[in-house]
Amino acid sequence: MTQDAAIDLFVENAEKAGARVVRVSSAHELNEVLSGMLEGATAVYSPGVTPTEKGLAIPPDRSTEDYVNASACVEEVSAAVAETGSLVCSSQGGKPVQAGLLPGHHIAIVAAEHVYEDLDRFFAALGDAPPTNITLETGPSRTADIELTLTIGVHGPDRLSIIVV
Amino acid sequence: MSLPTGSIPFRENAAQAIRNEALRAAMRNATGVFAVKRADAVSAVPLEEWRDKASETRLQVLDHLADYVDRFAKSAVRAGATVHRAKDAETAREIVACLLKDHGIQKAVKSKSMISEEIHLNDYLEKQGVTVVETDLGEYIIQIAREHPSHIIVPAIHKDRRQVGKLFAEKLGCAYTEDPAALTKIARAKLRQEFLSAEAGISGANFAVADSGSLVIFTNEGNGRMCTTLPRLHIAVTSIEKIIPSVADLPKFIRLLPRSATGQVVTTYLSMITGTRKAGEATGAKDLHIVLLDNGRSSIVAGEYREMLKCIRCGACLNACPVYQTVGGHAYGSTYPGPMGIILTVLLEGMERAHTLLDATTLCGACADVCPVKVPLPRLLRRLREQRTEMGLTPTMERQGMAGFGMAAKSPTLFGAGQQAARLLWPLARKIGVKGTLARMPIPAEQPFRRRIS
Amino acid sequence: MRVQLFVTCLIDTFFPETGEATLRLLRYFGVDAVLPTEQTCCGKPADSGGYRYESRKAAEHFLSVFGRSTDPIVVPSGSCASMVKNHYPELFRDDARLHAQATAVAGRVYELSQFLVNVLKADRAGLKGRGKITYHASCQLTRELGVKEEPLALLRSLDAAEFVPLPSADRCCGFGGTFMAKMPEISMALADEKLDTILSTGADTVTGCDHGCLMNISDAIRRRGAAVQAKHIAVVLAEGLA
Repeated sequence: MTQDAAIDLFVENAEKAGARVVRVSSAHELNEVLSGMLEGATAVYSPGVTPTEKGLAIPPDRSTEDYVNASACVEEVSAAVAETGSLVCSSQGGKPVQAGLLPGHHIAIVAAEHVYEDLDRFFAALGDAPPTNITLETGPSRTADIELTLTIGVHGPDRLSIIVV
Repeated sequence: MSLPTGSIPFRENAAQAIRNEALRAAMRNATGVFAVKRADAVSAVPLEEWRDKASETRLQVLDHLADYVDRFAKSAVRAGATVHRAKDAETAREIVACLLKDHGIQKAVKSKSMISEEIHLNDYLEKQGVTVVETDLGEYIIQIAREHPSHIIVPAIHKDRRQVGKLFAEKLGCAYTEDPAALTKIARAKLRQEFLSAEAGISGANFAVADSGSLVIFTNEGNGRMCTTLPRLHIAVTSIEKIIPSVADLPKFIRLLPRSATGQVVTTYLSMITGTRKAGEATGAKDLHIVLLDNGRSSIVAGEYREMLKCIRCGACLNACPVYQTVGGHAYGSTYPGPMGIILTVLLEGMERAHTLLDATTLCGACADVCPVKVPLPRLLRRLREQRTEMGLTPTMERQGMAGFGMAAKSPTLFGAGQQAARLLWPLARKIGVKGTLARMPIPAEQPFRRRIS
Repeated sequence: MRVQLFVTCLIDTFFPETGEATLRLLRYFGVDAVLPTEQTCCGKPADSGGYRYESRKAAEHFLSVFGRSTDPIVVPSGSCASMVKNHYPELFRDDARLHAQATAVAGRVYELSQFLVNVLKADRAGLKGRGKITYHASCQLTRELGVKEEPLALLRSLDAAEFVPLPSADRCCGFGGTFMAKMPEISMALADEKLDTILSTGADTVTGCDHGCLMNISDAIRRRGAAVQAKHIAVVLAEGLA
C-alpha cells in the first residue's frame, strides 16, 4: 500500500468511526481550517510542544493553559493507524494524553507521514519500550450501556475533528 | 468474603427470570443487536486465520504461564510499577485496601473490571470505609441500583431505559427521563466531578504485555483513560492469564476483542499504560500498583480445563447462548454468566457450589462458533458433567436411571424389554399425573420399528 | 449398494413411521438397507449427561454390532451420527483398541440427508412434495457434522412443494437431550420461540433431521394448538414416492 492509499484509508475509517476529517497541505491552510473549527469555542487548550503546535494561530482571548476548563483541545498527535481509523496519542515529549479527553471537542492534527497502514506496522515500530501512556483514539466517546442504544459523548469528547497535514 | 453455602439454585432462578417479561424483552433486544453487529464486523475479515493465531498465542502463554508472569512482573517493575502477587481473592482485596490506607485515600474512581467483581472488591473496600465510584455507565447504573453485573461487557444489559430513568430519578434526584442520551449526560456530569477530585483510580486490564510490562485497557466511554491518568495513584487488579508475550502480539487481539464483544472494529479508546510518570512527562499516575491475581489459575492451567484460560472475556459466547439469551446473567448466581461463566465458576468456586450451572446449557455449540480464541466450550462443559457424575453430585434417580440405561444399551433383550415396559407404563404414568417431561413426549409406539420389519 | 441402517432408539421406540420412511427412501434409490436387529442406542443421552461409563457401554455395543461389516452406516439423526463420528473416538481416548475401532466405524457414518445428497444425488431425482415446508437446522447436525446444505438441497428440489427458509434456523430449539427433562422451563421457552419463528414463515410443515428437536417442537405446537406439523425429513421425502 502506498502512503497516499494509507492516508485515504485512514480518512475513510476515521469518518466511519464518527470523526470529521480535513486534509490540508500548508501551515497557512491548517490555520485557516483551524480557525473555522474553533468558531464558538470558548476556551482552547493547545500544549505547544511540537513545532506544528507552536505555529498554531489560536485566538489569544480564547487560549488557555488549562485543559480541564477548555471547551476544545487542539494538539498534534504522534501518529494514526489507517486500518482502524485511530489516532495515536502518546505521552512522549511531555504531552498530557488526558488533554484530548476532557474538553468536549478534540481537534487532532496528524502529519501525513505519520499515518501507519495497519496495527502490525504501528506496534512493530512502537517496540517493547513504549512511553508511559499510549492511547489509540477512534471516533468520539460513546456508550451503548442503555438498551444498546448508541450515545455519543460520555466521559470523553463528543466531537472529534482530525486535520491531516 | 465467604461464599453462600449450598449450590446455586439455577433452575429456580431461571424459572423466575422466564416469567419476567421486562427482562425477556431487554435480553431479546440486546442479544439480537449483538448478533447482527458481530456478524457484520466479522463478515469481511479472515476470521478463521485470526482465531487460529490468537488461540496459538494464548496457548503459548499458558504453556509457560509462570515464566510469563515473572517476565511481566520484571518488565513492569523496570517501567516503574510496583507488582503484587495475590494467591487468592482475599489477599488481592487486602493489598488494595492497604494501598489506599497507606496513601490516606478515602475515595477511588474505578473503571469496569470483572476481576474486581470476581474478588468482590467494592463490598470489601466499602466495609473498610472507602468509597468506590464506578465510572463505566453500565457499572454506575448497577452500583446505584445495588446490583451485580449480568453481563461481562454490558453490566446493565438486563435493564430497559424506563428502569434506568426511574433509578436515576430516585437515587440521583434528577427529573425522570428515559432518553438514553439525557441519562448519559446526567451520569457524565455527576462523574466528571468525581474524576477531577479522585486521588486514586482502580482499573482492571484486558491484557498485560510481558515484554514491556504494559497494561492494555479497552473502553468506549473514556472512563478508563480518566481513571488511569488523572489520579495520582493507579491500582490495576488483573489476573495472571491475561498476559500476552509482546507488543507485537497486540494487533491479533485488538482485531478480535472489540469485534467479538460489540461488533466494533476497535473500541473508541485503547490505552496502553507502561509504568509511572517519568521525568518531563505530563501524563500518568505517580504511583502504579499492579495486583496480579492467581485465585486458582495456576492449578487450572496445569489441568485438563486449561484451555478455558485462553478466554479474553469478550462476552460473545454469552450473546450467542440461547440459555443466556432467555434467562439473563443473574440467574447464574455467579460473577461470570453464560457458557464461559459456567466453566469458570465451577473451576474457581468449586464443583459443589457450581455444579447446578452445568445444566444451564443445551450443548448446542453456538458459543464455540463465536469464540475468538477457540475455547472448546462444549467439550469442557461435557467433561465437567462427567466429573460431576464421578463426584456423585447428580440426583440418585438420575444415576439409577442412567445405570439402567447402560445395562440396557449393551443388551438388545433388555433394551427391548425396556421399550415394552415403557409402552405399558407410559399411559398409566400419565394417568396418575406424572407431569413434566413425560407429558411432553409422545407415547411409545405399539411396536418398536425393529420388531415391525423383522 | 448395501448400507447398515442405525435407526436410533428414539425412532425405534416412538416414531417407527420415520424408520419405515427411511427404508422406503433408501430402497427407492436401489439401496439394500440392512437393519441389524441387535442395535440399541448410540449412548448420546449418557454422553451429554456426563455419564461416561454408561455411554461407553452403549458405544462398545454399537461398535460390536456395526463393526461386523464395512458397509456405510446410515443414521436418520444428526446428533446420533455425530455421537458415533465425533464423540466415540473421544470417549475411547484412553483405550487404543477401542479407539481404533471407533475411528474406523466413524469413517463409515453418514447422516441420512448427507447420504441422500452426497452419495445418492437424491436432490436431482425429482422427488415430489406437498405444501409449504420450513426447516429447523439442528445443532449437532449443523455444528458438529457440518451438514448445512444437504437438507436444504433436498427440500428445495421437491416438486409441488414450496420451501420457505426459517429465520435463525440454526438456533437451538431447547431439546438438548437431558436438558429437556432437567430444565423444562427454559426448554419450553426456547421451543416456544422456535415455534414463533416457524409460524412467521406461514409453513404448514416444519421438518428437520433430528427427532429429538422435532419432539420438543411438537410439544410446543401441541401446547399452543398451532396449525403446523413437525415431520422428520425422511417422512417428508417419502411422502412423495410413488
